[in-house]
Amino acid sequence: MLPDNVLIFIVLAPGLAALIAGLFQRLIGDRGAMIVTTATVLLAGILSLYQLFAYTFGGHDDHGHTGAHVIELMRWIDIGSFQADWAIRVDALSIVMMAVITSVSGLVHLYSWGYMSEDPDRARFFSYLSLFTFAMLMLVVADNFIQLFFGWEGVGLASYLLIGFWFKKEAPNAAAVKAFVTNRVGDFGLALGIMAIFFVFGSVEFEPVFTAIRDDAFGALQPIGSFVSGETPRDAAIAFLGYEVNALELIGVLLFIGAMGKSAQFFLHVWLPDAMEGPTPVSALIHAATMVTAGVYLVCLASPIYEYTVFASGMIVIIGAVTALYAATVGLAQNDIKRVIAYSTCSQLGYMFFAAGVGAYEAAMFHLFTHAFFKALLFLGAGSVIHGMHHEQDMRKMGGVAKFMPFTYAAMLIGTIAIIGLGWPHTTLGFSGFFSKDAIIESAFAAHLGGVSFAQMAFWFGITAALLTSFYSWRLIYMTFHGPYTGAHHVHGEHDDHAHGHHGEPHESPRVMLVPLALLSLGAIFAGMIFYDPMFHHGEAFWGEAIYRAESNHVIHDIEKLMKPDKETHAPTQYEWVFWAPILVTVAGFLLATFTYFFNRGVGQRIADSGGPLHSLFANKWYFDEIYNVTLVRGTALLGDVLWKTGDKKIIDGLGPDGVTSLTKWGSRRLSAMHTGYLYHYAFVILAAALVFGGVLYWRAGGAS
Amino acid sequence: MGGFWILSTMTFLPLLGALLIVIVRTATAGQASEDDQGRKAMAAALIVSGATFIASLWVFANFDTSRAGYQLVEEAQWYGTITYKMGVDGMSMLLILLTTFLTPLCIIASWTSIKERVTEYAVAFLVLETLMIGVFCAMDLVLFYIFFEAGLIPMFIIIGVWGGVDRIYAAFKFFLYTLLGSLFMLAAVVYMSIVAGSSDFEVLEQYAFTPTAQTWLWLAFAASFAVKLPMWPVHTWLPDAHVQAPTAGSVILAGILLKMGGYGFLRFSLPMFPDASQLFQPAMFVLAVIAIVYASLVAFRQTDMKKLIAYSSVAHMGFVTLGIFSFTEAGVQGAIFQMLSHGLISAALFLIVGVVYDRMHTREIAAYGGLVVKMPIFAALFMMFTMANVGLPGTSGFVGEILTMVGAFQASTWAAAGAALGVIFSAVYMLRLYRETVFGEITNPKLETMTDVSAREMSTLIPLAIGVILLGIAPWLIFDITESTTTRILTLMAGG
Repeated sequence: MLPDNVLIFIVLAPGLAALIAGLFQRLIGDRGAMIVTTATVLLAGILSLYQLFAYTFGGHDDHGHTGAHVIELMRWIDIGSFQADWAIRVDALSIVMMAVITSVSGLVHLYSWGYMSEDPDRARFFSYLSLFTFAMLMLVVADNFIQLFFGWEGVGLASYLLIGFWFKKEAPNAAAVKAFVTNRVGDFGLALGIMAIFFVFGSVEFEPVFTAIRDDAFGALQPIGSFVSGETPRDAAIAFLGYEVNALELIGVLLFIGAMGKSAQFFLHVWLPDAMEGPTPVSALIHAATMVTAGVYLVCLASPIYEYTVFASGMIVIIGAVTALYAATVGLAQNDIKRVIAYSTCSQLGYMFFAAGVGAYEAAMFHLFTHAFFKALLFLGAGSVIHGMHHEQDMRKMGGVAKFMPFTYAAMLIGTIAIIGLGWPHTTLGFSGFFSKDAIIESAFAAHLGGVSFAQMAFWFGITAALLTSFYSWRLIYMTFHGPYTGAHHVHGEHDDHAHGHHGEPHESPRVMLVPLALLSLGAIFAGMIFYDPMFHHGEAFWGEAIYRAESNHVIHDIEKLMKPDKETHAPTQYEWVFWAPILVTVAGFLLATFTYFFNRGVGQRIADSGGPLHSLFANKWYFDEIYNVTLVRGTALLGDVLWKTGDKKIIDGLGPDGVTSLTKWGSRRLSAMHTGYLYHYAFVILAAALVFGGVLYWRAGGAS
Repeated sequence: MGGFWILSTMTFLPLLGALLIVIVRTATAGQASEDDQGRKAMAAALIVSGATFIASLWVFANFDTSRAGYQLVEEAQWYGTITYKMGVDGMSMLLILLTTFLTPLCIIASWTSIKERVTEYAVAFLVLETLMIGVFCAMDLVLFYIFFEAGLIPMFIIIGVWGGVDRIYAAFKFFLYTLLGSLFMLAAVVYMSIVAGSSDFEVLEQYAFTPTAQTWLWLAFAASFAVKLPMWPVHTWLPDAHVQAPTAGSVILAGILLKMGGYGFLRFSLPMFPDASQLFQPAMFVLAVIAIVYASLVAFRQTDMKKLIAYSSVAHMGFVTLGIFSFTEAGVQGAIFQMLSHGLISAALFLIVGVVYDRMHTREIAAYGGLVVKMPIFAALFMMFTMANVGLPGTSGFVGEILTMVGAFQASTWAAAGAALGVIFSAVYMLRLYRETVFGEITNPKLETMTDVSAREMSTLIPLAIGVILLGIAPWLIFDITESTTTRILTLMAGG
């Protein structure tokens, strides 16, 4: 654990840098703003990585086992037992998250020096990037749900600002609003979940709430609400919207709705692909490596809750598994290079969720960790292509780019091999995705053996999605980098806003963009090999109390006990195939893609052109946007119109003031045909009413006595 | 307390200033041009309201935040059982500070936009300030009623004289609604004074009205406060009043006058009619949730910037109702906080609209678009207040909303869930407003000549921005002051 002052620096300095870059950009200039933010975040990244390595290999110090290290910064909201301080709470989960956030963010800052070099609003861009980093750090070091919510919505704000960074264009603006609003739908659940937590536990702080669940006793906590039945944290049932529900199940579901929004899970995923309208470094940082994983972080953090839920965990498994498969199917049929990777992100997040849902939180966090590197790499690689292709994102207009951009090509290959999970089972040889994704698939199978609901479905969905992942990832590589270069007709085309001196052929990106690619490639290759043992295999010691496992949860042990070959005889068990299934489908996907997009270029296009129903379904993202547009978007507008024009104008005003006016007008015409609608008419009516009322009041209340 | 009457001094300072302006104007009539007179009157009004703000800080310095109940009490025999009695507690202290803080900003905001009858305008605002402070200081029911009702008149005049095209309709609608409520309250005030034999708050708080009497009295007061707040369905005067009112009028309307409704519920309904308050809790929850959801949906469809913000006010005041009638510590603290927070945020949003209105003379959303290109500082400030209005954590808007919902959740999960829907909708309508006015390409050629916020405009917006952030990060500054008041109200309610 780093000294307190250093921890405070890591968390707060990016926020300060964002402020300086945002408020004083005219004073320090673009360059000043870029230097301040980039240097700060890079330094924070180095410190956080040091912390991660020291924690992992320096022997876990006390904090890893006995709980978290908490630094109180300032009071925030304290009303009775509703206590939420500004704090920095560091445990194993925070250590991993801090390392991911600051290291990827630092590299993205650096990369943006090149990618955004011609943008007139660079200071603003870097200010937002650092603001995001600050908010995300506040999220993962919170010691209570309210500060977590601060970070949660703070990253949402940064995401909104960055998606809509190119504010003159229509599409980014629409995408930004869509992202914010969809996330708000999730936040609706999260906020209610926090209210329910306070209702049940009389506290919104992690430590007392989680301790109460672990001990199944409220101890010093005073529940605020009354329970319908049950007296202990795990048994308590409360009335919610007329239903009697188990308190933990309710909290679990509500928190997960929040996670679904932030992590773009099925039903609430629609904003993530559109978020690709933002600058590509943003996609890498926010919409791949960090922010979208906040939901997974939340579920792992709340492991004490989910360890005692059946319904809520089952929901996580189903939604996660469905998302993993659904997003992979859509990824097959996208032509925008960024959208393919966006759906891939969505799909990988689904893996993390069903892992957490079956109780393998270590696997979920481990995949979160490795995924951050290879997915950021893929996005920054795609960004490099887009940059080199003068803002072209359509893969159909690419092809043969490898020879123009060999370094980017190599980086993208590494990223692809990492995401499809190439490696040899039972050895320590493999790219990072191999270790973490297989850990998830094995966990799902082990959970199925242990009788966890829906684990079998998750396993098969995961296997199928792995096949599709391999296919669409290689499809991306082949369409972009191989075959003939088809974008030549774009030379001096309409994309001239990118004011390069030498238009025409794609060009390799500047070194400031390639260095981050190289460093992330290291992560994509080695993160799995290095951290498989500490984070997953011996995860219990690594995660300490940060991840809670109930006694009934032996998912990870079962992999070892029931599935792995005998340690002495090396005789494989009947489940040996589970270890080979992922790599087999991955190779199958590779072969299919190679056949369709490498050896027979054009087959893919012919499938697309033939317009089969399945292809249409995938290409149109299963028509989610269309359905939501017709129902929710138009419905809201229509309802708003009806309430306004009929409710307010016709009914309320019509019967109210306007009605009185016309009544008085009518009355006065009748009486004198002279005065119309003067104030004293109304006053008279009202006064008369008040007198009648006063009389009734006096009489009814027995005031005469 | 026989010492210096510090509350009365603060309260009547603006009125004194108004009198001076009138005297000087009468004395110099014919000597100076009307324009010149107006200019001087505005300067005088700024000085006087500034001095009043300092006076309120002085009052605050003498205020002991740890004590519950009324402080700095001033009392004099007036007429019969009616006394002139002034005093403040945590809640009224803060609302007074909000009033004295916003009034100078209003004067500055009107500096160039008011061109006719400027002297009268300055006088109207100062008179209004005295009456508003009086409402929060009064400790006698009759005195309260006088301040409460008299405040209607300058506001009515501000809308009716310096308002927009349809100002007469709006002013009448405003007057009609509030008068309707007021007269019911008058009946209740008379009844209470006779039955309890006193109109002193502290006597009334201890007097046990029969449950039947409570019910009727509660309804009579609620008629007035519901209109002020405003609650659905008596809210339709507010959008019209806002649209027609000059910018500063909207600021005061949204910033202070609406708060009198919430103040009234907390000052009278809960402590004096506890049984009736319990009785009407479900009804109030229903109306509060309807206000939040309904007004948010209507706000989404508005084409007029001010109307949109007006409906947003209705929704946000719904959270106040919700918090108050949760009868919980979190809820009531949250409601008071939400009143202060909304006072800052809505004031800022109306000033923001005023900034572009002064340049373009239209409030139509469709007339704008792409403002950020010409007005980056404006865009940044507008973004900040937009986020505060949607309740982003870190701004004051969040604290009030979450606490009132936490309070409501304890009383009714339906109410909390309904209110939480409003949190989604607020993002929908505010981001739409922001996107269509600030982002995009400039399509209206008239916008090409737009200039960014001036130093004068900055001086009105920056203090509000600081307030919104400060209260968002350190809301305990407020809670430490309102805690004893909240406890006292809830104890009185519980019959203690």
